[in-house]
Amino acid sequence: MIPNVAPAPADSTAAAAAALPKSGPKAAFTKVSAHRLFASPGGVAGVLWLAALVVASLTAPLWLPFKTEDQDFTAVLSGPTAAHWLGTDELGRDLLSRIFASAAGTLGTSFITVIVAVGLGTILAMASAALGDRVEAVISRVTEIMMSVPGTVIILAVIGAVGTNIPVIMAILGILISAGIYRVMLGQAKSLQSQLYVDAAKVDGVSTLGISLRHVLPGLTNTIVVQSALIFAVGMLIQAGLAFIGFGPPIPQPSWGGMIQGASQHVYDAPWLMVPTGAVLALTVLAANAIGNALGKAPNAAASHLPSAAARRQRAKAVAAVGAAQVAAGTDAPPAKGQLSVRGLSVGVDGGPRLVTDVSFDVEQGTVLGLVGESGCGKTMTALSLLGLLPSGVVATGGQILWNGKNLAAATDREMEAIRGRDIALISQEPMRALDPMFTVGYQLTSAIRRLRKVGKAEARKEARSLLEKVGIVDAGRILKTYPHQISGGMAQRVAIALALSGRPRLLVADEPTTALDVTVQAEILSLLRSLVKDTGMSVVMVTHDLGVVADICDQVAVMYAGQVVENGKTANILDNPRHPYTLALLAADPHANHAADMPERLATISGQVPQPKDWPTGCRFMARCQFAGSACAAPVPLLPSGSEDGLVRCVKADELAVEGLEWVATEVPTHRLLDLTPTRTNVVEKDMA
Amino acid sequence: MALFITKRLLMALATVLVVAVLAFLLVHAMPGSPGAVSLGAGASQEAIDEVNARLGWNDPLVVQFVRWLGDAVQGNLGTSLIDGRSVSDDLANRLPVTASLAAGATLLSGVLGVALGVTAAVRGGMVDRIVGGICGMAVALPAFWIGIIFVYLLAVQSSVFPATGYVPFEASPQDWALSLALPVITLAVGGAAFIARQTRASMLEALQQEHIRTLRATATPTWKILYVHALRYASLPIVAGIALQFIGLFGGSVIAEQLFAMPGLGQAVQTSVSTHDAPSVQGVVVIATVVVVAVNLVLELATKFLDPKLRAS
Ligand code: SF4
Repeated sequence: MIPNVAPAPADSTAAAAAALPKSGPKAAFTKVSAHRLFASPGGVAGVLWLAALVVASLTAPLWLPFKTEDQDFTAVLSGPTAAHWLGTDELGRDLLSRIFASAAGTLGTSFITVIVAVGLGTILAMASAALGDRVEAVISRVTEIMMSVPGTVIILAVIGAVGTNIPVIMAILGILISAGIYRVMLGQAKSLQSQLYVDAAKVDGVSTLGISLRHVLPGLTNTIVVQSALIFAVGMLIQAGLAFIGFGPPIPQPSWGGMIQGASQHVYDAPWLMVPTGAVLALTVLAANAIGNALGKAPNAAASHLPSAAARRQRAKAVAAVGAAQVAAGTDAPPAKGQLSVRGLSVGVDGGPRLVTDVSFDVEQGTVLGLVGESGCGKTMTALSLLGLLPSGVVATGGQILWNGKNLAAATDREMEAIRGRDIALISQEPMRALDPMFTVGYQLTSAIRRLRKVGKAEARKEARSLLEKVGIVDAGRILKTYPHQISGGMAQRVAIALALSGRPRLLVADEPTTALDVTVQAEILSLLRSLVKDTGMSVVMVTHDLGVVADICDQVAVMYAGQVVENGKTANILDNPRHPYTLALLAADPHANHAADMPERLATISGQVPQPKDWPTGCRFMARCQFAGSACAAPVPLLPSGSEDGLVRCVKADELAVEGLEWVATEVPTHRLLDLTPTRTNVVEKDMA
Repeated sequence: MALFITKRLLMALATVLVVAVLAFLLVHAMPGSPGAVSLGAGASQEAIDEVNARLGWNDPLVVQFVRWLGDAVQGNLGTSLIDGRSVSDDLANRLPVTASLAAGATLLSGVLGVALGVTAAVRGGMVDRIVGGICGMAVALPAFWIGIIFVYLLAVQSSVFPATGYVPFEASPQDWALSLALPVITLAVGGAAFIARQTRASMLEALQQEHIRTLRATATPTWKILYVHALRYASLPIVAGIALQFIGLFGGSVIAEQLFAMPGLGQAVQTSVSTHDAPSVQGVVVIATVVVVAVNLVLELATKFLDPKLRAS
């Protein structure tokens, strides 16, 4: 019964990682999230029950109607009556009195286990983290041994040696359990120990012990509380179990386990007897677990890539709403053209903030569209919505995605399944993570080919080999037999591209396909994509933050900022003659986008950050960072023709800037520098953002 | 892989040895010398001393331990102080009882737990909350309490199963299964809840992996993503969880054996501890450890085999 506990509930490791402080030990300390506890109804109920139980058991002598040994022979084995609220046992002793009289002892001795287990486990974890690999190896070995022995049997042997001395037994139980606590704490202690401020403290000459106590321990507080609650529950259960098999407190003294044992003798003639003690014990365990779980609950860190059935039902509703709204709301964007036509697309967290608003663009067959911008601008969300693969909880909230005339934004899951892979395929940023680590390349590729091309096994295998050769893999036969972790990143991306091609798609959505790769490999992958576009006539939507990639491969560009398209047009026009200050800034800040000849002395920076969706202003979303912002920018800015061919731009000063030929200036303090160098233009660049 | 197996084997041996030393020391700390225990109350001091001398009780501890270890390696765990029977023979009779109990409970918790955990993760919403609630209740209720309720409902009220006792497999396979049913179910309630939680968390983590998106992007049917790819990814932590569960259930059998009057190892520990029967206590502790460590070793190797990264290296 012991190791039931040792590996703390699986969610709590994630919780431990999530609870790591971002801003330093102080923040971590205050994070011992009373609010998280009281935000959960289970947690509140748990605290109330435990508090009530402690108070009731401490004051028991004052209010209990009977002494534990009082025998009422007129009411033996009775159910609840006015005199005996919870009934009586086989000797006519009052159950209520016995339960509460023994509560203090049960809770107190269980707490001994908590203190020993959590205390020792934490100390061991901190020592491992602080004293280096050698010490960690030793401690880990020892705890491994402790976890792999039958703890219950050993505890019984201990009882043989020390007798039924409950406090001692509970302390030894704590030692056995501390191994599990150590395992839970170690990772967190190590990551706290490797924080920068710990290094800084070391340089300042703070002792190892000082660092552990001042910087590591506070960060562990929440985990300590969580584990304490869970171990408390375990201690009570084990203690009751021991009492049940006859190793409880000496005989006349009541104990919960002993009372249940007594009740079990009368389950035939007085089954009620089982209920009160069992219920109090279960409620107390439940309360401790509820507190632990409420405190340990990890904030939903990463979203699922395959929403649960319930989440899918919810999404289906959202999709239906988008489809219905379509008829009513006509957007003022130009009519759809080309193979893929996105019109007024909005994406948002279901019931939460918007992530992408009113995005429109077109992709003609056999061309490459670049979606450009910093991270956090909504590029990836836009791209994923084309495949209906938005992460769990994120939905397309409006607009149209017209694929050969069909609106994918309003398509059901099943309809999308017919499109994915066959019409529209995906390659993503980290090829290693995009492939299933548990299956060989060959299995993944052939099963996709069999599914998407409806061919037999042998033919699929042949096709897999030829696809790998097509993406430039020479020893295709060998690669087919490997697992993803056995090949390089560049090779994995080629495999991922082959996988994407297995359904002969007509549109490839590529989400930063080269970002995670070495520079030389990047160029190879880009040229592979370029030749694939030429050979197969498919189109590509390429998400990137790299203007070098754009210049290399894209025919059209849509520059995105804070969930909007801010500039849109032919690649050549946009790179040579940018109209939006953000595009200007990106170009000025990109070393690759500048030709060696006219490389500026200093690269420009864009100060500040992309605003969070909740901070988006009603006016120009780039305003807070724009060197050219003026009062006119505070009103909503429409996307208007930029004047160069079919280009569009979302900036009130676009024309003005084009005429003046202004440049984004490489300086931390833009206004100053501009004032100094170009005093005549101050009226244009002055910042009146107050 | 060979190196890994060797390392694990050495670890397992070390574990058994550590426990053997520990058990030896604990047994020596028990009140009453072997002579006093075996002769019972009222024996003369001379008689007690004579028995103690014959058993080598007064030799240095190291000598005694080495002697015990030498015998133990040859399969002789000494004789019981209470009834003079061979401890090895007694435990050999008892081991199948506890082994069937623990194996059955582990199997049932595994099947039930994985099914519940996967369902909770896959269905989400209401189903997830209901499964979560049931699991919370199941881990909060002590196994012995659940067991008594089962006895009351299934044995007393409907007499489908025998309430207590154990029928050896050789005697009647059918009665053997019936006699195991209630204790196994009793132990499996908590075990299944634990594995369900572990499975749910592992499945959710698996579904957060990026390769799941790739699978969807290549039109893999949902059932295949869930039950082939995600479950395969989650299988590593699930098997590890089941291995841990076996240790717990093996220990938990002490309670089940007491409750259902089954002549297993747990009952042996309980009685030999109560009667201060030193050789029996020591024998049962070591045997239990050997079994648990061996099963864990096998399950751990299975986990490693499930992981392509470790298999290849
Ligand atoms: S000039 Fe005004 S509208 Fe144009 S980008 Fe700057 S802040 Fe926005």
